[in-house]
Amino acid sequence: MSLNRSFFVPIDSPLHRLNPLTKLTFVFAMIISAFLSVPDMAPALAVLVLLTGFIGKVQRQYRTVLLKLILPAILFMFVMQSVFLPGGETILIQVGRFDVARENVRAAFLTVSRVFVMVSSFAILLLTTHPSKLMADLTRRGLPPQLAYVIISTLQILPQMQAKAQTILSAQRSRGLDTESTFLKRVRAIVPLVGPLVFGSLVEVEERAIAIEARGFTSPRAKTFLYEVPDTRADRLIRWTLVIFTLLSLAARIWLS
Amino acid sequence: MEVITQNVVYFIVVLAIMVLLFVWAYLTGRMQKEFTTMTWVLIPVAIAINLTIGQIVLVLKLPVYLDSIGTVLVGVICGPWAGALTGALSNIIAGIILDPGWFPWFPVAAVIGATAGVMANIGYFKNWWKVVVTGFIIAVAATIVGTPISILIFGGISASGSSIITAFLLETGRSLMTAVLTTNFIAEPVDKIATSLLAFAILDGLSARYLTRFPRGENAAVEKGQQQVQLIIALVVVALLILFGIYVLPSITSG
Repeated sequence: MSLNRSFFVPIDSPLHRLNPLTKLTFVFAMIISAFLSVPDMAPALAVLVLLTGFIGKVQRQYRTVLLKLILPAILFMFVMQSVFLPGGETILIQVGRFDVARENVRAAFLTVSRVFVMVSSFAILLLTTHPSKLMADLTRRGLPPQLAYVIISTLQILPQMQAKAQTILSAQRSRGLDTESTFLKRVRAIVPLVGPLVFGSLVEVEERAIAIEARGFTSPRAKTFLYEVPDTRADRLIRWTLVIFTLLSLAARIWLS
Repeated sequence: MEVITQNVVYFIVVLAIMVLLFVWAYLTGRMQKEFTTMTWVLIPVAIAINLTIGQIVLVLKLPVYLDSIGTVLVGVICGPWAGALTGALSNIIAGIILDPGWFPWFPVAAVIGATAGVMANIGYFKNWWKVVVTGFIIAVAATIVGTPISILIFGGISASGSSIITAFLLETGRSLMTAVLTTNFIAEPVDKIATSLLAFAILDGLSARYLTRFPRGENAAVEKGQQQVQLIIALVVVALLILFGIYVLPSITSG
């Protein structure tokens, strides 16, 4: 039960060098167009997102994410929806009482390509952007610094807490806690596992509050930044192109329907 | 297509209500009162609790998720807005480190935290039968928010285990909306009641001195009462919930 801390791949590529906000704009432009524009747009955008991985030189890691997370979920959804969605007239295959109608396959394909665009564009953002760089840039643009603190601090606390959870699990098992037999015994195992973990981490909260209070956490004055995140003219150009693309794709939906 | 248009209208109405609430809470200063330094420090710990306990439960192979205990905790002792923020950020963090497929569900997590906060504010987190009621209300709220997301974004059948129930209901001739709503009503209450009870047990174990450091620590002060009276009330509540499940639900969802 271990987690990687984030998807980030520390290499250099044109996508890594882009400003985080530009990549975030890309993600939202893709999602909004895929869900709200004409239906044919979604598969095209799926291909576009798939190819973007190559610019970022993260195609190897992207393939891993694709095979482990995205494809199993999407295949499951596609098959289930094709078979079980109600309605549809043109029956393609019929096995017993289960039938697959062409209309449902089409609807399932549309949903699946939209979900694909959404999940993989986020995956590409996360593969090429370190979370703290993203938060630093967003804070510089006016996001409350407390939010950045919450996200960065969670990413730091999580591995520690997971290590602690593993220790508690082993410790309680060595004392004879039953985590594998009957249902009732497993239910009863929740409290001895959860209790020490939660109480231990809640006690630290008070100390940490005093520590960051002493460092001017709630001070209303403007904060300075440790890292400078570059924002070039190319970034601005790409962002505006994406905004215009999104508006055009929404207009296409209104005109064509 | 008809279902989708109906859902869009529904979504816009909900969004408008949320914005109005937000403006109201901001202008009256209710929201700012919830976000003290203690709250800001508790939120990351609560999110880490959510995700870590979620994984412990996976090890135990129980039919619940229990991945919003931290959210409920913050909602109760800091307030509904802090709870909503914890839920939303919890899903965003899960999206960053586990699977980007978590992102679209953030409104559900936010509503869980907000509902826990509101219920605690009106005094429904003080003894265990009230906590059971709170858990049930949280489940209803999560269902109301989760169903449109499930239908609009994932086409009704997403990649979770409970989709099997949806598929079964669709095969027996229910409409998509009914099938998804019913699935959520089957899956959510057990999980959310268990989550609330665990959060209550945790709060019960914390000292009063510690709890008063939070904006709404008094919400968690345990009410002393007769054990027998509580037991009777709990039985009545459970009976009412079952009656609700049998008689009221089908008439709501068959629309």
